[in-house]
Amino acid sequence: MGTLMVIDQPPYGTWAGREALDMAFSLAAFDQPVSMLFTGAGVNWLRTYQDTREIKQKSVEKNLSAAPIFGVEAMYACARACTQYGLGPENMVDGVVLAENSSELIRQHSHTAFAG
Amino acid sequence: MAANPIHSYTLVITGAPYSTQAPQTALSFARAAIAAGHTVDRVFLYGDGVHLASSLCTPPSDETHWPTEWSIFLTNNGIPGVACIASALRRGLVNESERKRYELSASNLLEPFIIAGLGEWVEGNTTSSRTLYFHAGG
Repeated sequence: MGTLMVIDQPPYGTWAGREALDMAFSLAAFDQPVSMLFTGAGVNWLRTYQDTREIKQKSVEKNLSAAPIFGVEAMYACARACTQYGLGPENMVDGVVLAENSSELIRQHSHTAFAG
Repeated sequence: MAANPIHSYTLVITGAPYSTQAPQTALSFARAAIAAGHTVDRVFLYGDGVHLASSLCTPPSDETHWPTEWSIFLTNNGIPGVACIASALRRGLVNESERKRYELSASNLLEPFIIAGLGEWVEGNTTSSRTLYFHAGG
């Protein structure tokens, strides 16, 4: 049950992922159950030690670390996309559950939303 | 034959007019839904979708004026149209109170749209029987 916010956009180069994160935090702030699924290029959100000084943007790592504090129930990452983008336990933020079957995950939630 | 269930919809538009078809597709859907006896509880503009609420859009006269079309539709049907405040301020869409707050030179929010927070979307998500998204691809 609850809403599954899907982030399928990379953390930089587009604002859509940040706006999806705001939606997830907003649901959590209003005590609505919400989890997040990172898939496709979106798994790059989960990379540790993001250095954004050269592109003059705020790192999304800090925003994302607030997810459990806001009350986001779970963070899932598409296992296949993690392999594709070279993400593993050694370079991924803590607390992420690898999802082998995203379609099953979507079925388990009453709403699915993308920011754009 | 069993009657089709009646739904209440929250529509979320994230694609801007004139760079995506999202506002047009959403308006066609909304008209069809109401014609079929459903209700539209609210329309929420998010991300680039907030450009639909600009009173300054000026397309060539032989093109449809999507902000005006939406404005008339919302007014005639008494449907609230809400632009997300965070998305709106980033993109230069402000109402009179935000103009004063940030000491800007002008405001440009088209009636009957209002500016409010994501809480409006959360409420739609929980109270409407369906929430539909109209993104840049659609």
